[in-house]
Amino acid sequence: MADLLANPWLRGLLQGALLITVMMTAVAWISWFERKFAGRVQSRLGPTMVGPSGLLQPLADALKMFQKQELIPSAADSLLFRLAPPLALFLALGGAAVLPITQGMLASDLDVGVLYVLAFSGLLAFPIWMAGWSSSNKYALLGGMRMVAQGISYEIPMVLAALVPVVVTGSLSLSDIVTYQATHHWLVLWPPGLGLIAFIIFFTMALAEGNRIPFDIPEAESELVAGPATEYTAIRFGLIASAEYVHSLITCAFASTLFLGGWDGPFLPPLCWILIKTVGLFVLITWLRWSLLRVRSDQLMALCWKYLVPLSLGILLLTGAFIQWVG
Amino acid sequence: MLEKVSFGVVAFALLWPGFKVVTARNLVHTVFWLGLTLASTAVLFIMLQAPFLAAIQLILYTGGLLTLMLFGVMLTARDQGLLTVPNASHRRAFGGLLAVAAFAMLAMAITQTTTLPASPTAPITTQQLGALVFTEQALAFEVLAVLLLAVTLGAIVFARRGDAGSATENTANSIPARKPLPAPNAAVSQAKGA
Repeated sequence: MADLLANPWLRGLLQGALLITVMMTAVAWISWFERKFAGRVQSRLGPTMVGPSGLLQPLADALKMFQKQELIPSAADSLLFRLAPPLALFLALGGAAVLPITQGMLASDLDVGVLYVLAFSGLLAFPIWMAGWSSSNKYALLGGMRMVAQGISYEIPMVLAALVPVVVTGSLSLSDIVTYQATHHWLVLWPPGLGLIAFIIFFTMALAEGNRIPFDIPEAESELVAGPATEYTAIRFGLIASAEYVHSLITCAFASTLFLGGWDGPFLPPLCWILIKTVGLFVLITWLRWSLLRVRSDQLMALCWKYLVPLSLGILLLTGAFIQWVG
Repeated sequence: MLEKVSFGVVAFALLWPGFKVVTARNLVHTVFWLGLTLASTAVLFIMLQAPFLAAIQLILYTGGLLTLMLFGVMLTARDQGLLTVPNASHRRAFGGLLAVAAFAMLAMAITQTTTLPASPTAPITTQQLGALVFTEQALAFEVLAVLLLAVTLGAIVFARRGDAGSATENTANSIPARKPLPAPNAAVSQAKGA
């Protein structure tokens, strides 16, 4: 067994399989949680019939998705239409490889972990746009175009905000960033004030990136049916939907790693802390989703370009000055 | 052995989409193939133990590709659901000649270079890269910054000019007064009232 694990290819394969299994299982029950939560917010019960409190609902949903007939519109660009959902899921899952789950427990401790996660989550707009365009459906195309417009805008403040922890810790490696936070301060508190603002900017832009309300402009269901996913059926729709959940989950884990100390915390084992923080942020996202209204596209653009880009640039400068003269 | 095989796979994944970029007639497909080429380049950087360059390659070209796609859809005629690139065949011979010349030059440069090490001795860290950019290469960095600033300003000037033009066209006077909505049908309102 130890011999087998010594082979880097085999080890990578096993780690990948394990990571994918864990992520997809988490996504199944996260979707159950979201439906329950939404039900409670709207004075309903959510799923109740399959299993105790509807806990087996995700399994039933998955089974249903696999059984349904797959339809491809005759006017669709067949190749890109088929390729978009798996590509979306691939890019969404890719970011998970460098997230430190506990001390020394991560699939790959890349030197440039922060950039790696940002690259994968940024690329996610690509398959979504592909899905929208290849559907040959005006609603899907509109959704795809909105996705691109949104993608170009939110990327900049998000990356700038994510650079604040990098400037403070002097490393792009996620495990270094968490180790710094375990030995010094959590970066949401340090530099005082600046860290908090950077966290809020990052989290807001992460909402926009994950297509979550209040920024779910690309798939605004009251205007665009389901945006880029309009023409998708059966498991292809399932892949796109789970890609968005995976992405939300990874963004929550990424935000807690960058700003909230990752696995660091008192009393409980590290694994518990990273789970508590990630799920806590996901609850926050869900809560926002079911309490806020959708903003308009131009409002998001104005927010990004007129306020958040200058603000995040200023924060980055101030952080640099703080590190130079104080910290 | 494994390294050679994987290099072969990556090289193919880089060259074949590159070929398709030129030959594909559907503009969106072209952008897609270009994306594959750029992603393969990132993989090549990883194989050369330069993960920073790989990540930057992915991040930078994402935005670029998305913008290209926007242009692809907005600036080309949409004909029966297909975006086709005009096929300018009268320049083919000249283009081919240029390509062969460029290839010959590159091939000559590569074969005549003997001073490069066979494999990277020690991977260059991100810290080293950063220090290099802000010390030795500071001038090039600043020049690039000025160039980008000039481009941004130029883009704004062009965009503003277009804006001003459309603003004068769309003044309140030039918009034909909207017809008042027809009065609600008396019969319908009566029926509803009853």
